[in-house]
Amino acid sequence: MTHNPSPALSPLLSVRGLSKHFPVMSRGFRPKVTGVTKAVDDVSFDLAPGETLGLVGESGSGKTTTARCILRAIEPTAGQVLFRLPDGRTVDLASLSDRALKPLRQHAQMVFQDPFSSLNPRMTVGDIVGEPLVIHRLARGPELAERVAETLRRVGLKPEHRVRYPHAFSGGQRQRIGIARALIMRPSLIVCDEATSALDVTIQAQVLDLLKELQAEFRLTYLFVAHNLDVVRNFCDRVAVMRRGKIVELAPTARIFAAPEHPYTKLLLSAIPSSDPDVPMNFGVAEELAKLDR
Amino acid sequence: MPDPAELPLLEVENLSTGFFTEDGVVPAVDGVSFSLMRGRTLALVGESGSGKSVTAYSILRLIQPPGRITGGKILFRSARAGEIDLAALGEKSEALYKVRGGLISMIFQEPMTALSPVHSVGSQIAEAILLHRKVDKKEARRLTVEMLGQVGIAQAEMCFDQYPHELSGGMRQRVVIAMALVCRPELLIADESTTALDVTIQAQILGLIKTLQRGLGCSVLLITHDFGVVAQVADDVAVMHHGKIVEHGTVRAVLKNPQHAYTRALLEALPSRRVRVA
Ligand SMILES: Nc1ncnc2c1ncn2[C@@H]1O[C@H](COP(=O)(O)OP(=O)(O)O)[C@@H](O)[C@H]1O
Ligand SMILES: Nc1ncnc2c1ncn2[C@@H]1O[C@H](COP(=O)(O)OP(=O)(O)O)[C@@H](O)[C@H]1O
Ligand SMILES: [Mg+2]
Ligand SMILES: [Mg+2]
Repeated sequence: MTHNPSPALSPLLSVRGLSKHFPVMSRGFRPKVTGVTKAVDDVSFDLAPGETLGLVGESGSGKTTTARCILRAIEPTAGQVLFRLPDGRTVDLASLSDRALKPLRQHAQMVFQDPFSSLNPRMTVGDIVGEPLVIHRLARGPELAERVAETLRRVGLKPEHRVRYPHAFSGGQRQRIGIARALIMRPSLIVCDEATSALDVTIQAQVLDLLKELQAEFRLTYLFVAHNLDVVRNFCDRVAVMRRGKIVELAPTARIFAAPEHPYTKLLLSAIPSSDPDVPMNFGVAEELAKLDR
Repeated sequence: MPDPAELPLLEVENLSTGFFTEDGVVPAVDGVSFSLMRGRTLALVGESGSGKSVTAYSILRLIQPPGRITGGKILFRSARAGEIDLAALGEKSEALYKVRGGLISMIFQEPMTALSPVHSVGSQIAEAILLHRKVDKKEARRLTVEMLGQVGIAQAEMCFDQYPHELSGGMRQRVVIAMALVCRPELLIADESTTALDVTIQAQILGLIKTLQRGLGCSVLLITHDFGVVAQVADDVAVMHHGKIVEHGTVRAVLKNPQHAYTRALLEALPSRRVRVA
């Protein structure tokens, strides 16, 4: 392994007691709060510089909400998100004011499953990739154009592509555009939320290789949110398994897959259909999960 | 004359389906041949856009303009209706109506494709039974509850009166399977029917399809992009690429010893088989 994260290094990110509760509303004419969904419920973990931590779990387990709280795309209900800045200072992203937060956002970026769903379809690839620099007033004019061209090249696209629209691109190329938009900010942390989940396997393999190359070149740290356990096994140094807002197990990847400790992890792994017909899968996993809850 | 039970239930010969768009013809399915024996499961696997769904839609004659079948045969040897070339049937022929109405059933990735949001799930299944079997309303209800039980829904009586939006994704897919199976199809086509589900629910639905298939003795055409699903559920597999079948064989032969370079490339790209990226 080229980047063996040393435990001696102080963490780039320390999440402590992170929670996010959403109110549950009654239906009807005058909705009332009838309870809370504990989407994230007292989550703690560290992320070493240069490390890739996989965050896995079934849909609704709280992966995206965790990611969004860490980047303060939404307000956490409780907890700390201690983030070490390039100048060595450590800040709590969870408690900073919006104003104090804004100049720090460049250091932690996100790559989504569908990078353009929230963007104006009339933006060109160049606008999309360059926009974060414009918003943060970090570059303009020829310098902006140069950085966009350089970043496009770095993710395997052509500088000429900047005048085109994203819908003209294949799924894999669109994901490269999303990566370029994150990379152009020179972040130290990138949170990937199901970034390769919608891609065909051959394209997925290429995008994963690209993420690894970029990690080595720019000393990136990844929080890699995914529901595909095979991808996480192949890509991550450590894995955190989430269920119902909590991390039930966190361990080095090899250990999670070879000797899972938590009964939920064991069941989840047993449900993966292996492409080796001689490795049977557990068709009865849902019933066993129900027993686990009783 | 050979025993008809030894002939394939479905034999697709040189099937071609194209879309005649303003930009030219898209040869979505381009000379495809495969056969599916009675009681077996054949997986059609390939990357997105390779022509899997168009093949399935062609079999049920669901291709809409600007698409059409441009050549080939789709021989379906029904135990109940005899041998039919689906490709040659008229759009409004009675035979096609019969085929769609119960000889061949299809389930899709998105269960809501097959469900009406404004009717209870039970009434929808009972409706299908009334349409295709000579039973009264009371018997249709009884058969529906029985079927809901068979697909593993514990409180089948209660489920009968629920609406699709009140059910989880996995439950909806079971309802759709129940609906697909009430008419005792000879062939079940499942198009990415577990792709959107969590692995634990996927395991349950795949197990259900396997169990029901054995119980009912029907054949399954399983369409998927996931070689894991192929390995765990199918007997035979056909690998599609650019509208053509590049390799066809038993699951064990193809997955353990792929002959075609494209199959090998696909298998090598699987995250579970790739050397760990470091
Ligand atoms: N904006 C929101 N309002 C209310 N509930 C939400 C909201 N976002 C997420 N949730 C709920 O929080 C839980 C976790 O969701 P999410 O983080 O998206 O899970 P995952 O990414 O693991 O699929 C789910 O029960 C979801 O319905
Ligand atoms: N209505 C349509 N008009 C034009 N092309 C179509 C249409 N439907 C499908 N195609 C084309 O047919 C090819 C095969 O599609 P499909 O069978 O859906 O692929 P798969 O199911 O393997 O992902 C694709 O190239 C797709 O673009
Ligand atoms: Mg999510
Ligand atoms: Mg398809």
